[in-house]
Amino acid sequence: MIKKILIANRGEIAVRIIRACREMGIESVAIYSEADRDALHTQLADEAICIGPAPANKSYLCMDKILSATLLSGADAIHPGFGFLSENSKFASLCEKCGIIFIGPSAKVIERLGNKQEARKTMMKANVPVIPGSKEAIKSVEEGCLIAKEVGYPVIIKAALGGGGKGMREAWQEADFEKAFLAAAKEAKNAFGDDTMYIEHFVENPRHIEFQIVADQFGNVIHLGERDCSIQRNHQKMIEESPSIALSEQLRKKMGEAAVQAAKASGYENVGTIEFLLEKNESFYFMEMNTRIQVEHPVTECVTGMDLVKEQIRIAAGEKLSLTQEEVEIKGHSIECRINAENPTLNFAPSPGIIKELHLPGGKGVRIDSAIYSGCEISPYYDSMVAKLIVHGTNRKEAITKMKSALGEVIINGISTNVDYQYEILENKDFNLGNIDIGFIEKHKGEIVCS
Amino acid sequence: MQLNNRFKKSNKSFIKRAKVEIPEGIIKKCNKCGAAVLVDEVKANFNICPECQGYFRIHAYRRIKMLADPDTFVEWDQEVSGGNPLCYKGYEEKKVALREKTSLPEGIVTGEIKIQNQKVAIGVMDGRFLMASMGYAVGEKITRLFEKASEENMPVIIFSCSGGARMQEGNVSLMQMAKTAAAIKRHSDKGNLYISVLTDPTTGGVTASFAMLGDIILAEPGALIGFAGPRVIEQTIGQKLPKGFQRSEFLLEHGFIDGIVKREELRETLGKIIRLHRKNTYQEELVVTEEKGVVSNEVASSWDRVLISRMKDRPIGTDYIAQIFEDFLEFHGDRYFGDDAAILGGVASFGETPVTVIAQIKGKDTKDNIKRNFGMPSPEGYRKALRLMKQAEKFKRPIICLVDTPGAFCGLEAEERGQGEAIARNLLEMSTLKVPILSIVIGEGGSGGALAIAVANEVWMLENAIYSILSPEGFASILWKDSQRAQEAAEVMGLSAKDLYELSIIERIVKEPSHLTQENFHKVIEPLKKNIRDFLNRYMKLSEEELCAKRYEKFRKI
Repeated sequence: MIKKILIANRGEIAVRIIRACREMGIESVAIYSEADRDALHTQLADEAICIGPAPANKSYLCMDKILSATLLSGADAIHPGFGFLSENSKFASLCEKCGIIFIGPSAKVIERLGNKQEARKTMMKANVPVIPGSKEAIKSVEEGCLIAKEVGYPVIIKAALGGGGKGMREAWQEADFEKAFLAAAKEAKNAFGDDTMYIEHFVENPRHIEFQIVADQFGNVIHLGERDCSIQRNHQKMIEESPSIALSEQLRKKMGEAAVQAAKASGYENVGTIEFLLEKNESFYFMEMNTRIQVEHPVTECVTGMDLVKEQIRIAAGEKLSLTQEEVEIKGHSIECRINAENPTLNFAPSPGIIKELHLPGGKGVRIDSAIYSGCEISPYYDSMVAKLIVHGTNRKEAITKMKSALGEVIINGISTNVDYQYEILENKDFNLGNIDIGFIEKHKGEIVCS
Repeated sequence: MQLNNRFKKSNKSFIKRAKVEIPEGIIKKCNKCGAAVLVDEVKANFNICPECQGYFRIHAYRRIKMLADPDTFVEWDQEVSGGNPLCYKGYEEKKVALREKTSLPEGIVTGEIKIQNQKVAIGVMDGRFLMASMGYAVGEKITRLFEKASEENMPVIIFSCSGGARMQEGNVSLMQMAKTAAAIKRHSDKGNLYISVLTDPTTGGVTASFAMLGDIILAEPGALIGFAGPRVIEQTIGQKLPKGFQRSEFLLEHGFIDGIVKREELRETLGKIIRLHRKNTYQEELVVTEEKGVVSNEVASSWDRVLISRMKDRPIGTDYIAQIFEDFLEFHGDRYFGDDAAILGGVASFGETPVTVIAQIKGKDTKDNIKRNFGMPSPEGYRKALRLMKQAEKFKRPIICLVDTPGAFCGLEAEERGQGEAIARNLLEMSTLKVPILSIVIGEGGSGGALAIAVANEVWMLENAIYSILSPEGFASILWKDSQRAQEAAEVMGLSAKDLYELSIIERIVKEPSHLTQENFHKVIEPLKKNIRDFLNRYMKLSEEELCAKRYEKFRKI
């Protein structure tokens, strides 16, 4: 039994976890930095312990302080939330050593899945499809050409030390290969002083589809369907929905089984997410596994009815899954919009400050997960996400209209937010038709003006 | 809106657990920056604090593991333990308890290891055992270490970390200082290498004996090293000591250590030093050299050459070292007063042959020039050069000197420390060094300041280098009371390579392009390397007596 949990996080996810604790009769301990003295999570928890100055590396990332606080408070478990130390295997292992339950998978599993190469190997062994690519460095154009054929065009040629798009070229057919390879290698040599190259299949305009999985200590693993997180800006998710209209019942079953397989192969326990890239021809590839609760978990909660945070705590306490795969039923359609303190007209520059006026929407099928209140201060030290607006409708169309209605009600004064930007995305024709992929924002950049 | 205590709390039981401490061995506090750091992370990072990069002390066996090739450590004299000569109360019990607690035999662990496949005798002190103070056992183990290494002609490395003498053993402890020093002298007289590595802290009778007697003395960054402890000094003189006093960096500045080496680079550096001190078995390599006394530019006047020799973009000593040698390792300090940046010295490889290199260095820009005092050496520079040349003699390495100075530094401080004596001493000592010496004047050869590293078997000059009794300005000023007539003076002083070759004061002229820069530097370097090879071919086969006799003759006949 877990009687007391320390929440090693801040903001809306800390609040979300505290609320789950309260509902379960578990005592909650918040930790806070000097900048978060008046934060909602600090005030809401049964106890709160200050762990240092505002910069995260002096507070929310300080393992020793968090462990001391946990032992001092008498908490028997730590919930890491997302971000900060949630996927830090060292922290998980320290918890284990100190006899504290880390609500999440074991340190070993976190480490194994955190290593991209190893995760890829694990998935290949478990027959989970990965993006085909060269296993070794490519030494010559001729060798590369052969491998490119094997991998399947289009291919992307990448520098081993690459980053920021440098040393990267696409080749759409064999005729383009030599030129692209040489150009990428030259660019890599100039930029990184090294022209070790790899080849991967180029996944063209894919959707980001992720599967929520839940696994207990007894080897039971189920999936709770997918989330479509294709609306992204600079790899940051903005809108997530469940289910995805791109998945037929058959494809959902196939991908879901692959996700369960992936979790089983890695010896996974607790909740986690398998991210896939989905091509238009319905090929899908494993990207990575997130070993934590995710920001967008509420959309899954809406359509399945399961409380994922409570389930996390139950699993960590050694209980069996509350549902079997057969009992999982996806009902209706749910969408989440992330509301960030940022200014879309100033290239999304963060917009910290004090919230002077606040009105948040409500009503049937409208959920707000947030840590803001009237008069609170959004500090510049942490992530700019201040609220999540989640709606649940009978179908996608209803969910979109509900979301528009709810977004229209939001009033946040004192800081800039992306609410209007989100509203325009919801009005976009392609979005309404479900024609979305991870290039959506880039493609519609000019149309969304934030009026 | 203020939220202070306005929410209803759902739980008020406030469960407490009995255990509130983090289990031992998971987290420790850095004693330098105070940060709590993960023990595993520190261990994986050479026992260096990941936060402040400060050094934790290292247990002896872990240090050995960090340095040695895998599974090469053989421990020596583990059983040696001292008695209790003063019958000091509780001393025996204390030692028994410490042995139990630390599983260390005494304050030092000795034995042999291989570093990069080279056999070395090693001693590592461990502060956990009575601050690794030197009683009978420590002194005896060190003495035996040197004796055994001496028998087998092995190099010795000692890592010091000690509070000094062991009070509980009284004068028996004091005598260990003399005993270890004597053992080192015997080891050294057989031509063997001893590298002393000073770690935090090295003080008292250890500093005043074996720790400071290395052929090469290295230190870890920031280590406290001194004879009297800082607290004792403060109490004695009634003053607060400056920051950084008695730290490795302070010692380097004051000429007492050869260098500071980061912990993560120690294995590599020690391996390299040992390699550069291997037995020198010279292999002749036939080369074809150019004629000796020819210049490529016949028409340049002596004044032209004076100006060229002082050009800002002319390659300097460090450029020559980088191009001619491999693996150059700089050693610092005169062991008395300071480290002079105007003279650089160290060991390097010339092809397969270890050599000692001494070079006078001018700066490349103003900042560098200030650091190097415009290439004008101070007494400590000459004393460092002599120290390193004596070492070359001990390890039978040829010496190559690169001369480039306007002259020895004329200044108050230089006179205070005996500039004249320092130069004179070098002339005297160099005349009988038992290894080949080659000096090459690459820029300015300014008077006695140049000669102090040019009492060589052969002296060569670059075509546009100059070598003179005094600067042309000084010459004009003394003889004609007018330094403005420097140009005129240059022409009568006979300072060019051609003039000096004709007087048999130098043995070779090294041809060079009319404007020597980094771009055409290879035109000098390639033939120069061949000439140096030819020099070694001719001199490495001579006996010690022949080398000295030839050098004597060279100057005797002038």
